Amino acid sequence: MNRCMAFAIRNLKELLRDPLSYIFCLGFPLIMLVVMSVVNSSIPEEAGMTIFRIDNLGPGIAVFGLSFVMLFTCLSVSKDRSGSFLVRLYASPMRSADFILGYLLPVFILAVAQSLITMLCALIVGLVTDIKLDILGALAVVPALVPLGIFFISTGLLFGTLFSEKASPGLCSIIISLSAFLGGVWFDVEGIDGVLADICNVLPFYHGTKAARAALALDFSGDFWISIAISAAYALVMTVLSILIFKKKMRADLS
Amino acid sequence: MKAVEAVKLTKKYKTKTAVDGIDFHVEKGELFALLGVNGAGKTTTIRMLTCLSKPTSGSAEVCGHNTLTESEDVKRIIGISPQDTAIAENLTIKENLQLVCRIYGFDKDKTTAKINEMTDIFGLSEVLNDRAKTLSGGWKRKLSIAMALISEPEVLFLDEPTLGLDVLARRELWRAIEALKGKITIILTTHYMEEAESLSDRIAIMLGGRIAAMGTLSEIEQIAGEEGLEASFVKIADMVGKGEL
Repeated sequence: MNRCMAFAIRNLKELLRDPLSYIFCLGFPLIMLVVMSVVNSSIPEEAGMTIFRIDNLGPGIAVFGLSFVMLFTCLSVSKDRSGSFLVRLYASPMRSADFILGYLLPVFILAVAQSLITMLCALIVGLVTDIKLDILGALAVVPALVPLGIFFISTGLLFGTLFSEKASPGLCSIIISLSAFLGGVWFDVEGIDGVLADICNVLPFYHGTKAARAALALDFSGDFWISIAISAAYALVMTVLSILIFKKKMRADLS
Repeated sequence: MKAVEAVKLTKKYKTKTAVDGIDFHVEKGELFALLGVNGAGKTTTIRMLTCLSKPTSGSAEVCGHNTLTESEDVKRIIGISPQDTAIAENLTIKENLQLVCRIYGFDKDKTTAKINEMTDIFGLSEVLNDRAKTLSGGWKRKLSIAMALISEPEVLFLDEPTLGLDVLARRELWRAIEALKGKITIILTTHYMEEAESLSDRIAIMLGGRIAAMGTLSEIEQIAGEEGLEASFVKIADMVGKGEL
């Protein structure tokens, strides 16, 4: 456990000292929150478009922000793999579990902090735009997003393990764009039909957004738990897959 | 007493044989150099001895522990400074050293004592709180070696420790390595003749994955019939090329 914590602390420090972490994990989502709130204020009420209203937008942006945590997990792993730092650690008593947990713990902390800060900002935007959000609901969004956060983090670990420092950010960008588009952040999935709606309902992103919006409304009915269960199932599968691939790759590196 | 022993150690990658059945041993407290041009098999040998790569055949032992079957034991008693500086760039020098101490399970007092010791040996006090990424190549190499040494290894592996350094930084690092001589077993790889000549107790000349000659400088000069390591190296390479050795 000491070894894992030592490695986790190193990874957390590396993340916190990288200005890009603040730009992408905090700055960009918060700017989007403000910009889209301004956009929302320009939409006439008669249009009946509520997707950018802060009670919908806040949880959506929290989901969007989490996808950037995937990018940082991926970069941490792929950067280490491209240099000699891991060579030194491979020749130390560290085991694969120490590496995996050491990578996952700091980004999990980052993900929780990011969701919390996003929702606190949503509360402030709500006050400014006269749509008061429930504080308890805003706090409930954070645990509601844990399964999707774990899914994103595991995906980052998988991409960082499989792809190079140059290739992996590009692949993450595809997932980031897909998750925002299919996650119902920018349009109302309930208002569409057909294949696109089916895809949104099959993938975990929209369920993450749905669970977060329900949590904000303190609506823990059956739909909330179905969304949580679907996100959790994806998180479980992706976590197991990424751990297996990381271990396999580590064995291959040492053969 | 033998600190390291390799018996018919071989590493093959598909059609290429990187290390071809080498035999050698290193005595405790000795500084042993693997000298050879790029691609001679030096780094692959180090990788096998440090459990970073499995031999295709043959075996190796470090302080009596087999690198294949007792890798956990081997990893506890070795330190390695890889060819590229293996440091955490966003951590300070002190934090890099602390990281290694924690990985090896040192308590707070021991960590402080070991950091002070490394600071003295490598003269790190002026940069101790600087982030690693802001350091020059020479400081980074010193840190890399200090990180390998801080875990109190019985055998220290230095893979091309002065590669890419300017002459002043190289000389400074030599002095630090010389100060360790006799206190710890060191295996270093290099392609700098002067480095092997000035630092090592014994030298193994590697050519095409094989050890072409091994011994003290005078023994190698005797094998080659030449004076100086560079002339001897060239002669031995020539003899190997002609099949005379």
